[in-house]
Amino acid sequence: MHIPDGLLDPITTIVLWIVTIAIMILGYFRMSKMFEKEDSEKMIPYIGVLAAVIFAFQFVNYPVPGGTSGHLVGGTLVGVILGPWASVIVLFLILVIQSLFGDGGITALGPNAFNMGIIGGIVGFYIVVLLVRLFNKTSLKKELKVTIATAIGSYIAIVLASFICGIEIGIGGAIPMEIAIPAMVFWHLIIGIGEAIISALIVFYIYKTKPDFILTESILGVE
Amino acid sequence: MVEISRYKWPLITVVVVIVALMFVIAVGFTLGFLSENPDGLERVLIDINGEEWLENLISPWIPILSWVTNDYIAGIIGIVLSIAIMTGVFYLITYLKKRDTK
Repeated sequence: MHIPDGLLDPITTIVLWIVTIAIMILGYFRMSKMFEKEDSEKMIPYIGVLAAVIFAFQFVNYPVPGGTSGHLVGGTLVGVILGPWASVIVLFLILVIQSLFGDGGITALGPNAFNMGIIGGIVGFYIVVLLVRLFNKTSLKKELKVTIATAIGSYIAIVLASFICGIEIGIGGAIPMEIAIPAMVFWHLIIGIGEAIISALIVFYIYKTKPDFILTESILGVE
Repeated sequence: MVEISRYKWPLITVVVVIVALMFVIAVGFTLGFLSENPDGLERVLIDINGEEWLENLISPWIPILSWVTNDYIAGIIGIVLSIAIMTGVFYLITYLKKRDTK
């Protein structure tokens, strides 16, 4: 879902850049209290590892029926691990690195970070929160509640991001909106399955091996 | 002096991620769990406007690492850059947040 340079019109691009920068600044101030603790530096090598994992998963494309491929976006996944505000910054930085390789445009960094970081990260995270609170009424184990909620949240977030991306392309005029939106949503309804599975597996693995790395447990409200 | 043992597990994990990625690139296409097909957005644009149209979109720059065409080298450079930039930015964030709370 990496928007290339030249696809969106200048006004849409500028507006999405402004929104993304504003949310990243807000994100810095609202970021998890974890980053203010005395021993917070010990988390940083793990954040580096997480970045490596996300880059590696975004690097490899899995086949999707119909001559298409998909890859992890990871917004909701990072949101669940580091918090929604940190996820926008993480996704933005990963998109910067990918744009150096020509995967996603440099002028489209703002729109791409909006779709994958803000919709994928922040909106996806709050869908997970909602689902975890619903699952609290069941007898599921704690890690299963978060894992299943992450899978569903990632799926909804990626489809929603593709819907928003369809609107942006439609406004840009490259493809009429009535064609862009259903086409984007159709492919991402399929691609999202991979996103959901990979995100859920990573969250489950972290819960089993290093649960204190899930910094959002208190916000998730998992019981 | 940097205490390497403190970072033992993150370092091991990064090496494992790189090795796993290299392995996946090496056998992924043969075994069929990797694909070079266009992703969702590219698919939509190619289906409607054609591949040539997509390739001719105007960009203000030539991506500075676009000369790296080898998947293995691109994967390693990307992972190293991701770790370096992410740890650098989050060190800065934690430093600034701690300074602000003092």
